[in-house]
Amino acid sequence: MQTRLFFPGNPSRLNTYSRQPESSLPPLVSFFLRRLLATLPVLFVVLAGSFLLLEAASGDAVDSYVARSGSMDAEQIAQLRQEWGLDQGPAYRFKAYASALARGDLGWSTAFERPVASVILERLPVTLMLMGVATALAFFIGSLLGVVAGANPGSFRDRFLSIGSLALYAVPGFWLGLVLIVIFAVDLRWLPIGGIESVASGKTGLARIADIGAHLILPVASLAMVYLALYLRLMRDRMSEIWRDPLVNALKARGLSRGRIIWRHVARNAVLPVITMLGLQAAAMLGGSVVVESVFAIPGFGRLAAEAVARRDTPLLLGVILCSAITVVIVNLLVDLAYGKLDPRVRVGR
Amino acid sequence: MTETYLHVRNLCVSYGDTAALHDVSLDLAKGGRLAVIGESGSGKSTLAMAIAGLLPRSARTGGAIEFPGFSHVPKLGKDIGVLFQDPSGSLDPVMKVGDQIAEVVMTHLGTGWISARVRAVELLDRVRIPKALSRLNSYPHEFSGGQKQRIALAAALAGNPSLLIADEPTSALDTVVQRHIVNLLDELVRDSGLTLLFVTHDIALASERADQIAVLYKGKLVEAGSAAKVLGRPEHPYTKALIGTHIGLDTPRRKRLTEIDASELQ
Amino acid sequence: MLNWEGRAGAVVLAALILMALLAPWIAPGDPLAITGEPMLRPFASGAHILGTDRLGRDVFAGLLHGTRTTLLVACFSAAAALVVGSIVGTLAGYSGGLADSVLMRITEAFQTVPSFLLALAAISVTGPSVPTLIFAISLGTWTQAARVTRAEVLSLRERDFVAAARTLGMRPLEIAFREVLPNAFGPTVSLAAISVATAILIEAALSFLGFGDPNRVTWGSMIAEGRTVLRAAPYLSIVPGIALVVTVLGVHLLGRGLSRTERLQP
Repeated sequence: MQTRLFFPGNPSRLNTYSRQPESSLPPLVSFFLRRLLATLPVLFVVLAGSFLLLEAASGDAVDSYVARSGSMDAEQIAQLRQEWGLDQGPAYRFKAYASALARGDLGWSTAFERPVASVILERLPVTLMLMGVATALAFFIGSLLGVVAGANPGSFRDRFLSIGSLALYAVPGFWLGLVLIVIFAVDLRWLPIGGIESVASGKTGLARIADIGAHLILPVASLAMVYLALYLRLMRDRMSEIWRDPLVNALKARGLSRGRIIWRHVARNAVLPVITMLGLQAAAMLGGSVVVESVFAIPGFGRLAAEAVARRDTPLLLGVILCSAITVVIVNLLVDLAYGKLDPRVRVGR
Repeated sequence: MTETYLHVRNLCVSYGDTAALHDVSLDLAKGGRLAVIGESGSGKSTLAMAIAGLLPRSARTGGAIEFPGFSHVPKLGKDIGVLFQDPSGSLDPVMKVGDQIAEVVMTHLGTGWISARVRAVELLDRVRIPKALSRLNSYPHEFSGGQKQRIALAAALAGNPSLLIADEPTSALDTVVQRHIVNLLDELVRDSGLTLLFVTHDIALASERADQIAVLYKGKLVEAGSAAKVLGRPEHPYTKALIGTHIGLDTPRRKRLTEIDASELQ
Repeated sequence: MLNWEGRAGAVVLAALILMALLAPWIAPGDPLAITGEPMLRPFASGAHILGTDRLGRDVFAGLLHGTRTTLLVACFSAAAALVVGSIVGTLAGYSGGLADSVLMRITEAFQTVPSFLLALAAISVTGPSVPTLIFAISLGTWTQAARVTRAEVLSLRERDFVAAARTLGMRPLEIAFREVLPNAFGPTVSLAAISVATAILIEAALSFLGFGDPNRVTWGSMIAEGRTVLRAAPYLSIVPGIALVVTVLGVHLLGRGLSRTERLQP
């Protein structure tokens, strides 16, 4: 009973942690590498699956290239097809793609006329920053409000926050973004309407950071709000479960103050499963950034995905899918590491 | 004549329409050891929790629980310590055991963090946790069930209470460990002059360790008095039956099974 | 009986379904047709209660017909996700061994790619239409049902009735789908509300980005349309968004009312 209540998620996690590291690397590093290796089969399935999916598309990269670049005769087209390996079967192309990938080559973006890897690397930091800030804010504010609600389940404050979070949870991020733009950028003119920084403002140093910060407020809010609601609910629901646990009675019997029981015990136990959710939500948030970045015209990784689809740039889309899978895997690893630090029942590298 | 520690008068507890305790009155002398026995559902735990003031909010109570020696309502943790049945359930799985004891010390004795931790070591020592100092930063899952119960006991005693209420403190443990815990309890009670109220369904345990016994049956107190009197000359048929079911190997075979006929007991 | 949350959700959804069914009668004709002056404000004209958009299309008609698309796509893709997920989960959980690990790796792979990105990629291959949207959305959302069903099947696999079916000589697949799956379906169905809500939001986001069915009005495409005149007529984006929020909220409320996992008891 007790362990089931407090041990969240995946018990197989324990085995991975308890294995003895054999290398001379620090345990944390070797743990990280081992886990990364363990995800290779999954990443391979992602690669093969998305390759297959995109192979099914009518028209190939040359078609879309020709459509954009205009005049090209049949001979040139055939030559280009041969150059890009499009006259061969899909198995050949997959092998070629995979072996290039092993060298870190993600192929050539037909839309940007540049290597896919360089386009992605240019766009990824903005999105990671956006996601990082949004996650941090959603987690801290969400779980804080969750404690306020869960401190006294069934109270007016709890009901108010629960219903509020349910309503907030139903709000699509992109629409929230538009509403925020109407209010704060169009009507009040407090914040910029879009982009990541003011164009050609010549700002440097702190002024530039402040400028980027001002540009980030609305997108972060639109991306974070739904997760804030989610973490609030999770925290609140876990706390209301823990209140019914015999532990609470034991703590009351020791005469501890209510505040201490709430913050040091009930909330502390409830936050652990919320932390595991941080990893699970990474994929969803990356998906959400596609629309939010489009709304705010932010040149990030998410908007790149939409551009790749709109411009029928298959190599770029494949690269985007693969990179988002890797991002999700790494975020989950980091969350696992943090979890191991916070839950004494789980220990890394022991 | 010893001083009375606890008066329970006409105590009634009910949850909704079901009565858990009906018109229970008993006294407990200072330094006494009272065993409350009865089968499950007899209301014995409800009695213990009512005295501790830990009944759920849905419970309705009547009657009075008085502590003549106190000018104020006794405080949980400081005046009354409680030990529960399930040791894993009484310890926070994500807090170091030293901190769990120290926070009680800090709350009730008003000491600083350092001296609270020092006191925690003393307490762990007293409940016979080996190498107490080095185990201060261990977490509950690193201890065995019996050790967890000792730690829970240390936390219950951390505020220097004068009454210890133990609700079936050994039923979740195996037999050998049970004995250790019982001996430890006994010793602590003798050494520090604690008043003890323990709930059990184990009549042998009650006969060995208690000087007073109260027998509960279906929420009613059917018999109370000194251990010798209740066990030696039981008056109520339920007590007799209860003693009858506790048989040794020397009991004649045909007498081993004693049926409890509910109609006789009213 | 449903609690008040569940009832509120049921009322909202019933109203939406009614709107979807009656749309051709309340607002006859093509909702994409130009029927009046462009950019009429809401409540300014009796013929166009919610005003008209940039091209003079009636917003209220669009909203009504959008309900059809939204509910159609959401219900079918949620159903597809649940069916596919529970089949995969049953196969993985019941067969165990290599089949299980292969299926679970595949499930994990699908979970690793953001479901919105997956839907986007699928739409880029198939082109946008209602059936392809359903396919694209369920592609990214079946995994949760698979995990839940698998967990349930694993616990059911060892039950007596499965052993009984085995001794009766039923074939493994027959047992898995005739005996185990129906019993494992309960927890999976409780995912239905979340699946429908997710599907609604993904569909809206896809059509907002212009990857929806171009021959149908959707709330997402109305929001996108309104966005081009956001400064002059913000209500064009805001009104369909409110419809989205109300719908998703209704689904969540009904889901919570039905699952009843949430109880406010001490």
